[in-house]
This record gives sequence, C-alpha cells and structure tokens, in this order.
Amino acid sequence: MTRPSSAQFGRTDLPETQRIALKKAIRWELFTIVYTSITITVVAFVVGGSQAMRTAWIEDMLSLLPQLAFLTAVIFVRRRPTVKHPYGLHRAMGVGHLVAGIALLAVGLNLAVEAVTGLIAAEHPTIGTVQLFGQTIWLGWLMIAVMVIVVVGPVFIYGPAKAKLAPVLHNKLLYADADMAKADWQTNAASIVGVLGIGLGIWWLDGAAALFISIGIVWDGVRNTKGAVIDLMDQRARSYDDKQPHPLAGEITRYLRGLPWVLDAGVRLRDEGQVFHVEAFVVPRRVKVRTETLSAASEGIARLDWKVQDVVVVPVEQLPSEADRALGD
Amino acid sequence: MNGVQSPGGRTARRLLLGVVACLAALSLAACGVQVPSDPDGTLDRVGGGELRVGAVEEPGLVETEGPSPEGPLPELVRGFADTIDARVTWRVGSEETLVTALEDGELDLVIGGFTDQTPWIERAGLTRGYRDIEHAGGRSLVLLVPMGENAFLSALERYLDEEVGG
Repeated sequence: MTRPSSAQFGRTDLPETQRIALKKAIRWELFTIVYTSITITVVAFVVGGSQAMRTAWIEDMLSLLPQLAFLTAVIFVRRRPTVKHPYGLHRAMGVGHLVAGIALLAVGLNLAVEAVTGLIAAEHPTIGTVQLFGQTIWLGWLMIAVMVIVVVGPVFIYGPAKAKLAPVLHNKLLYADADMAKADWQTNAASIVGVLGIGLGIWWLDGAAALFISIGIVWDGVRNTKGAVIDLMDQRARSYDDKQPHPLAGEITRYLRGLPWVLDAGVRLRDEGQVFHVEAFVVPRRVKVRTETLSAASEGIARLDWKVQDVVVVPVEQLPSEADRALGD
Repeated sequence: MNGVQSPGGRTARRLLLGVVACLAALSLAACGVQVPSDPDGTLDRVGGGELRVGAVEEPGLVETEGPSPEGPLPELVRGFADTIDARVTWRVGSEETLVTALEDGELDLVIGGFTDQTPWIERAGLTRGYRDIEHAGGRSLVLLVPMGENAFLSALERYLDEEVGG
C-alpha cells in the first residue's frame, strides 16, 4: 500500500480546492453571524407592535442556527477516526442539520399559532411614532426602511456566496443555509406589507403577513428536518441539493467493472455529511482474489473523488440485492 | 455554476418587483391616503366632536375630587383636545373598569399613573413614555389609547412631544 492506512478510513484532510472552499465557507458563516447580529440589534429598536415584524425578527435569530451548527460541526469532522469512533465524526454535520431543522420547526409552529390567535382575537396592532432628530415620525416608516436595508446581506451578499460553495464541498447544511438566506427577501417583503397594512388601517394584514412568514419558517424546518433525518438514516447518497442520486455510485461501479478481474460490481454509498463511506461489492472472475488486488481497487476508487476515501472492497459470490449497481442512472 | 447563479438573478428580479410594489404603495400613501390611519376611525370621529376620557385618581397627576379632573395630565388632555377641536367628557373609575371601557370602544383615552412598564399593554395601546410631565417623579408616564388606532395615537404623541418633550 502506498497510502498510509489512516487515509483509508474517513479522510479528514481535504484537497486544495475543497480546503479553500471550506476556509471561505467558514469565513462567510462568521460574516453571516456578525451581519445577522447587527440586523437583530437594529430590528430590536423598531420591532414595535407589529406581529409581522416580531416574527421576522425571531426568524432572524433562528437563521443563526445553521451557521452555529456548521461551525460547530466543522470542528468535529476534522478529527481522525479512532477505535472509539471508527467512522470519524463526519455525522456531526448531519446532527447539526437536524438540530437546526427541529428548532426551525418548533419555533415556526409557535409563531404560526401566535399569528392565528392574534387574527382570531382581532388584535389591532399598535404602532405609534418615534422622535428622530427632533422630528416626530411614524415608526412604521422606520420599520419599512430597516427591512429594505437589511435584506441586502442575505439576498445579494452571503446567500449567493454560500450557494456557490455548497456544491464544491458537497455540504447539505451549507446548501440549506444558503437557500434560506436567498429566500429571506420574502420575509422582509411580507413584514413590509404587514406594516403598510397597519399604516393603511388594514389591521389584519399584519397578522396575515406574520402567518405567511411563520409558515415559511415551518416549511424550512420540515425540509431541513426531513433532509437531515433521511441522511442520518443512511439513504442512498444523493447530490448536494437532494435532486438526484449521486453520480459517484455510477462512476465507482463503472470503474470496478472496468477492472479485468471483476465480473460484476455494486456499491453501498452513504453520505456522512461531507464525505461518503463506500462499501463496494465485487464478483471476481476467479475464486481466489489477492489482497493486494483489493487494496489497489480501493485506492483506485479513492482516486476518483475526494469525497470517497473511506472505501472497503468486498469480494462476494453474488451481489446483494440492495447494492446500487447504477444501472439505468 | 450557472444552475446556482440563475436563481440568484431571479431573486434579484423578484426583489426589484417587490421594491417597485413598495414604492407604488408609498406614493399611494403620499397622495391622499392617510398613513397611519385608524381601523376604527377614532381621530376622525373625535376631531370636532367628543373626546371621551377615563381618569384614574393619582396623587399629583390626576385629582378627581372636583367636578372635573385636575392636574398635569388632565391639563395635557385638554390641550390636546383643543388642537383637534374636541370637547372632553370625563369618566372617573378604577383602572380595570376604564381599560375595559377603552377596549369596548366606550372611551378614547385613559389617563392615570401609568408608566411604560404597565401590564395593561396587553389590552391597550400605549403612547411613548414621557418623563418631563410635572409630578412624574422620575416615572416614564404613558397614556392609554384603544389598540391599533394609530392615527389617533400619532396625533397625541405629536402633541405630547411639543408640550413635554420626547
């Protein structure tokens, strides 16, 4: 074997492109936390009596969760596998994803209930004036101005930046985070509609906007929880946006079938958050297989992609029926 | 990467649409429609008519011994009523009775020793806190208005800003 044996299980060092992308992702997450903290503080001054504003404000606080989950998980996924944790700690990313998803779901539902009870009780939101530079102006105008300004960050700055990094790192948590940031304009637009509604005396528009925002939070919660759970349940590895089965399964089986000693091959591929664990099943042409041949095959697979470093190649008489033979993909 | 960028472009276009919609709403608001306005039309009804005020006894601030309440807060209410050509009618009672009357639309304003920490915030709209009212004694005093009557509230706060500062 040319590689040190530790490289075979749960690679924790990354190739150059991914290392740079991860560094950038960490920087963007830190930037997001700072930006969002400022947003939360500014909005706190103008949140007033609007339920829509309150809901948008709480959503801002919740939007910190994926970043905190990502940054926490990054500490763990770098650790090398040990006897105690033979698969490494890659799952930390999935656990963080799950926690963020559940939190979004719980708080989103809570806010939706609040919005609905407010609407049923026909609570008229009260927004008075503020004194700004000696002028008395309606607080609603200030709310609208703040909501227009703060939307710039998620929609134009860090949302698209993270969306570009997520596929490079094959990181679903980062992808979900970017996706939510890019959809943030809906929240801000809704809260502006709510405040304008209050301004025009259409009191229920505020509650309706709050309901719209909280449904968005619930939806994010459902999507993230679902995605995290099915990954933790070891579904067949899929692309970073969950849209299709990951093409690597096909590449690996094609590579194996191309080897002269292999009759047929199939894989079991699971997504550990950022890297894959690969169990490749091969039906050899002859009864005897040399261990060097198996090691060479496993290294060959590892060379296909940076994500597949934890590879076991198992010679079998017959392919297990659940193995992915990547036929027709 | 194209697949990643094009939704961003769509988002930008949508945002632009949103901004245009907001500007349209703002210009609509600027010409003719009053912002903020009252869902129940309090300011329009009170202006040139009757301002129904509830007064809770509070030593130094609201004295309810005489035929009509006296003190710094009733004086402010009379001054505000003058600016909108309203005639003040008084009702004296306990906090709960008056706040309930405010909720039921029987009163337009409730005064007393309420501060910006008042628990009645659940059931009434509050003005901003004013510290410079006579005999406030360091308290940040508020007046109670019906919830959501934002034009009325804004008019009242404008008057208070002029009279007793922000």
